[in-house]
Amino acid sequence: MIAFAVPFALWLTAKLLVALGLMLGVVLVVIWMELKWSAHIQSRVGPWYVGGRWGWAHPLAEALKFLQKEDLVPDDADDKVFRLAPYVMLAGTIATFVVIPIGPSVVARDLDIGIFYLLAVSSLSTLGVLMAGWSSGNKYSLIGGIRAGAQLIAYELPLVLALVAVAVQAGTLSLTGIVAAQATPLFHIGSTGISLPFVLSGQIIGFVVFIIASLAELNRTPFDLPMAESELTMGYVTEYSGLRFSMFFLGEYAGMVSMAAVVSTVYLGGYWLPGLSNDLLDWLGPFVLVGKIFFIVFLFIWFRWTWPRIREDQLQQLAWKWLIPLTLFNIVATATLKVVF
Amino acid sequence: MTDSPSENTPEGFAADFAAEIGAERWTADNDTVHVYVTRDKWVAAATAARDEAGLGFFSFLSAVDWAKEVAVGEPADDVDNLVERYEVLCRLSSATEASAIILATSLDKDDAWLDSLTSVYAGAAWHERETAEMFGIEFRGHPNLIHLYLPDSFEGHPLRKSFALGAREVKPWPGTVDVEELPSTTNVEAAALSGDDTAQSAPEGEGS
Amino acid sequence: MTQLDGRGIVEVSDGGVSVELKGETMTLNIGPQHPSTHGVLRLVAEVDGERIAKLEPAIGYMHRGKEKLAEVRTYAQITALINRIDWVSGFANEVAFIRAVEQLMGVEPAPRAQMIRLILTELTRISNHLVFASSYPLELGAFTPLMWAFREREHIMDVIESATGGRFHPNFNRVGGVKPAAGGGKTQKKVSLDLPAGFYAAVENAMDRAELACDELDDLVTGNEMIQMRAKGVGIISYDDVIAYGISGPNARASGVPTDLRKLETGLLPYEGIDFDVITRENGDAFDRYLVRILEIRESIKIVRQAIGSVPDGPLQAKVPRVLKVPPGSIYVRAENPKGEMGYYIVSQGGRIPYRVKIRSASFSNISILSKVAVGQLIPDLVATMGSLDFVLGDVDR
Repeated sequence: MIAFAVPFALWLTAKLLVALGLMLGVVLVVIWMELKWSAHIQSRVGPWYVGGRWGWAHPLAEALKFLQKEDLVPDDADDKVFRLAPYVMLAGTIATFVVIPIGPSVVARDLDIGIFYLLAVSSLSTLGVLMAGWSSGNKYSLIGGIRAGAQLIAYELPLVLALVAVAVQAGTLSLTGIVAAQATPLFHIGSTGISLPFVLSGQIIGFVVFIIASLAELNRTPFDLPMAESELTMGYVTEYSGLRFSMFFLGEYAGMVSMAAVVSTVYLGGYWLPGLSNDLLDWLGPFVLVGKIFFIVFLFIWFRWTWPRIREDQLQQLAWKWLIPLTLFNIVATATLKVVF
Repeated sequence: MTDSPSENTPEGFAADFAAEIGAERWTADNDTVHVYVTRDKWVAAATAARDEAGLGFFSFLSAVDWAKEVAVGEPADDVDNLVERYEVLCRLSSATEASAIILATSLDKDDAWLDSLTSVYAGAAWHERETAEMFGIEFRGHPNLIHLYLPDSFEGHPLRKSFALGAREVKPWPGTVDVEELPSTTNVEAAALSGDDTAQSAPEGEGS
Repeated sequence: MTQLDGRGIVEVSDGGVSVELKGETMTLNIGPQHPSTHGVLRLVAEVDGERIAKLEPAIGYMHRGKEKLAEVRTYAQITALINRIDWVSGFANEVAFIRAVEQLMGVEPAPRAQMIRLILTELTRISNHLVFASSYPLELGAFTPLMWAFREREHIMDVIESATGGRFHPNFNRVGGVKPAAGGGKTQKKVSLDLPAGFYAAVENAMDRAELACDELDDLVTGNEMIQMRAKGVGIISYDDVIAYGISGPNARASGVPTDLRKLETGLLPYEGIDFDVITRENGDAFDRYLVRILEIRESIKIVRQAIGSVPDGPLQAKVPRVLKVPPGSIYVRAENPKGEMGYYIVSQGGRIPYRVKIRSASFSNISILSKVAVGQLIPDLVATMGSLDFVLGDVDR
């Protein structure tokens, strides 16, 4: 990129704003995708009228609707914490976009400790959820919040361990480095180098575990017990309305996009597609990445509308008895293979 | 239990059972067996039905208020010979066959109490609560005789014949007509008189 | 022993220190407005964390006083009252009542009408079980089966509407038979009206679609491991509890009690000529209750297919006097409602209105076991159990 002679702070702010704008755009599209795909899975049509054919303006209409709703804070609620919680949750999700590379040299900030930063920052949203559940002054919210806290903490570990294996295979914690590692040829046939994304070159277990763990981190079915409508009338979000509710809503979808982005970058190769040179990727990279994000998001949506939810204790058992041993085995196998080959 | 062939008919079954528990009388009209016992034999009869006659399935427990004067509706047919009482009914049947009895006992209106069946059938709890609040009968030995349907502040016992139906205070009882007149003007009445006698009042009905 | 400011007890002994913290249970009101309680049911639960220590259902939010209202209505008017008791299976509520009145009057219903009643009862059974089979996974978190099953159910609703004029509250039974199909005007007064043209074809089509729904539900729900994880071993009701609490219908059959009033009450509707099985299961957990109903849909489809091939010709209604006077007497008649045993105890003193009508509804007894079964369960398990009992508040509260 061309270096501007501007102060660093301004440059950084500009990049962050661009990242934020891109993310919001993608999130709105993802909301529309969820509405449409869920409808077709259920033999319905989904949004149809808003904004002309296919109802593409439906998420915008929903956003506007939320903005004009009454802002309620229950009497029993802890005022400051109640007001702050949605923003904490959203901040945690948005901050992950800083390190996702969308082109060979297009990234908001290429941190050397990319994965570490990612994991640390995305657990901020757990804090937001707990704050929401506790401060609402409502028993249902409390139960939902505590459930969410337990779930999110339990599933951090498989998430982290899966990424450790990736870091071992790539040899670096930086996300751009990981994409570059996937782009380097593994072996040669004749004179062409064959490079494979990590999902195909030994991280398939990690991929599956990461998908499961990220579904749990996002509180999406089959792990959406904290917001189980049929039991807790919306769980930790019960008392929220208007703009703050839309922040949670946005946070959930932003989280989905951010997790999908992480999966795409770390396992599917990110902005890189085989056969494209780096110059092309400067321009095509974002589209490639967005395409992969949409694919992963499609998986998330498909799972949500097909499966029921599992109970809290079954969820915990899944995490501790199955996912963590699997990821530990994955790390050992990766390290062994790395040393041997 | 005797195993004579008379058991297979409702009458035979009723006769055997009534004899066994020392009931006052029994009837088996309309394929429905009623066995009438006195109040002191109530729990023993229910226990015998469950243990010896194989009628362990608790169907329902309710009551009938036999009164000479009624607040709404039609009074009983033979009012002069009617004995005013509460008749508590409890239907017990077999889970796997069609045999069943309705145990019945009569209670004086000013001495309306009965032993609870919750010690014999766990399912009697809710039915007795409902009967207690609807008729004002006290079930002694019931663990939790609070209101089931009615709000706690409700006064009165709705299913008693002396309890007036609120809707009928507003609009008086029109008597036994099949199609009540609409409460407004001539146009509607004229329409009801002229065109309305096909679907609604075929085959039974006063016909207007 | 020392108190920890009322929060517990500390015991110091040679073996060490042991602390017993006194926890408090939290009183949680589940309902009356709640997405998964099938209506306005309020459960006052004392929960310890997520485990239920005590549960007390508070019902009566839907009490409409039907038994009192029935004392001021003629028998024909009462039919309109009672098909609103269990509003999901509207037609099936009327059958026992009308048969009771017919037996008291000594009227033999028209054979054609009996068969039509059988067909419509089984159609409502399929419709009811489809509602259950799709809303139960909804409570467990699967959103899609609901849409698919309701789509197929529309065909059944259309069929019922074409014959009776109403989807949920058909008000179709008359003493001695069924109502001649909707016609109107003075010219058709003398023509005997019957089922609409194309009725049997429409029923066949509805049965094909219902079978498709069953297959889809089997694929999506019955074999799904997560559903099985949530429902197996949850809310077990023992054989003895079924008998003592008066639980009936598919709930009883799932616990191993082979009671099916379609086979036991032989005089009610002509089931003898029809070949079908009584589905029972052994475990009595939520999954068995679900499974029994899914399999019963298939059995009912079989019944309907046999029945529409054997509807006798004849009038739709037997000869009854214009003015319905029921002779004095009392009778109890029960029928196999999709939810269980639904019965009417009618006391008649002669005359045109009954002296007392006691409505024995299935769901009232079915949910009385909740306070026993729920103790020690987690809240999600409570939802799974409640859903599997398949009750509606209209049936509970009357």
